[in-house]
Amino acid sequence: MENLINIFVRSVFIDNMVFAYFLGMCSYLAVSKTVKTSAGLGVAVVFVMAITVPVNYLMNKFLLLPGALSWLHPSLASLDLSFLSFIMFIAVIASIVQLVEMVVEKYSPSLYNALGIFLPLIAVNCAILGGSLFMQEREYETLAEATVFGLGSGLGWFLAIISIAAIREKIKYSNIPKPLRGLGIAFILTGLMGIAFMTFMGIKL
Amino acid sequence: MKALRNYIDKIKPNFQKGAKFGMFHSTFDAFETFLFVPNKVTTKGSHIRDFVDMKRTMTVVITALIPTLLFGMWNVGYQHSLMIGENWTLWQNFWFGFLKVLPLLIVSYGVGLGIEFAFAQSRGHEVNEGFLVTGILIPLVLPVGVPLWMVAIATAFSVIIGKEVFGGTGMNVFNPALLARAFLFFAYPSHMSGDNVWVAGLAHGAKAVDGFSGATPLSNAASYHIDSIPSTYDMFMGYIPGSIGETSKLAILIGAAILLITGIGSWRIMLSVVIGGLSAGFLFNILSVNPYMDVPAWQHLIMGGFAFGAVFMATDPVTAAQTNKGKWIFGFLVGFMALLVRVLNPAYPEGMMLSILLMNAFAPLIDHYVVQANIKKRLKRAQKVAQ
Repeated sequence: MENLINIFVRSVFIDNMVFAYFLGMCSYLAVSKTVKTSAGLGVAVVFVMAITVPVNYLMNKFLLLPGALSWLHPSLASLDLSFLSFIMFIAVIASIVQLVEMVVEKYSPSLYNALGIFLPLIAVNCAILGGSLFMQEREYETLAEATVFGLGSGLGWFLAIISIAAIREKIKYSNIPKPLRGLGIAFILTGLMGIAFMTFMGIKL
Repeated sequence: MKALRNYIDKIKPNFQKGAKFGMFHSTFDAFETFLFVPNKVTTKGSHIRDFVDMKRTMTVVITALIPTLLFGMWNVGYQHSLMIGENWTLWQNFWFGFLKVLPLLIVSYGVGLGIEFAFAQSRGHEVNEGFLVTGILIPLVLPVGVPLWMVAIATAFSVIIGKEVFGGTGMNVFNPALLARAFLFFAYPSHMSGDNVWVAGLAHGAKAVDGFSGATPLSNAASYHIDSIPSTYDMFMGYIPGSIGETSKLAILIGAAILLITGIGSWRIMLSVVIGGLSAGFLFNILSVNPYMDVPAWQHLIMGGFAFGAVFMATDPVTAAQTNKGKWIFGFLVGFMALLVRVLNPAYPEGMMLSILLMNAFAPLIDHYVVQANIKKRLKRAQKVAQ
């Protein structure tokens, strides 16, 4: 249990997807103009990450790792398919996003309308793929750990995008030098927020 | 005085737009408003007419900072005299510290105001008084041994990246003085932390008398040397090593009183920072896993930069939360996070700077949700009345 809490706090604050690894920047910068839309995108990312990371964990464990296929037949124990992980993870993410979209559309049209274009957009968000690759690289032991990590990373990304969206709403009417308006100031802001997020560097639980 | 007024009036036409020195329009304007109260009024946009304009606000804050500055100067000399083991008089201490601190002030003002003037010239707006406070805050949050060129770089960074690119005074998202300190803290950590930087002369290998360590109370506590934390009286009065302005809680309280009586500092933020710090402290006291967690909660308030940050940094009207409810949340989280970083994060001995910067990043978000909640509440009330 303590281990799970540790992973959760680490993935939300310390190893924040945006401020520690600068992943998922394209949608983070493009959609963060208002708090409302960025909250929608953030919820979608949390949703997708909490599903894809555990699924990819299972893929990794039972298909890709060296000897992972031995449950199928003992002669496959020497097979190492980990070179396929990129293509595998992307395929899983893309298909799960499609599935999620269909399910949401069927059972909760209001949520579907709220998320709109963001759901399919997420399929190409590098934070999602990054989450799965970190899960593989850090060798989480159990399915629970992978799920908590996926949920935490998604929440960290959510926190990052709504906080910058609030700041961008606030500075909308500031007299920013012309060349920096829009994306330029968003990059500077992200850097400064990265400094602020250094608060958590090195915290040990 | 009259002669000066006449002289300014005489040279004024030269500085009008299109005249001989038209390009120095805003520099002239800055000096004129610095010397005299202008009779100009705002021409567009909604605004509130008030006796307390920006110049007066900044002057009050500087007045509130004077006690900490003077005590800081004295303490620099006092710590140095302790280190070399001599018994100096009050004036010797003060003079030594004065000569150490004055260059820091000059560099921070020189660089910062130079950049402000340059930006005002090139962008065609007026020079704002905002930097007068930042310029005095920057030396106050630095250790005395920091080289002058670092002060210059940090000031330039915080004024350009932290303030001017956002449109100048009043538009910045992060507190410029803390941004300068954070910049130095991460770029030159060896000059900003450790036990050797807090006392003038100690870093250069000068001979210190036996038993003098130069460690701050926080670094004592972080290394579990709870016994060597100075007495409460010493920490309250400020006879301890530390950043120039942070040591004396008495001087800070005088400043806080000035800010509160004039209504310029927000009492909500100050109070809620203290509440946040105390509640984190009590939480640690209950958990009590290591010796640091046993340090009484109230003692945290007089260690390190907690008091200075609560009074002068967190209350910054630009970067803090703007709504009243938001101020309570903002302040509480600042205090809470500061102690969290202090006790749980072995990488940093002090958490006040980073927790304020972090909450600066979240302040607009807090405001946003406070405003949304208020809108929802009033909408409900209106609907009830309509029914």
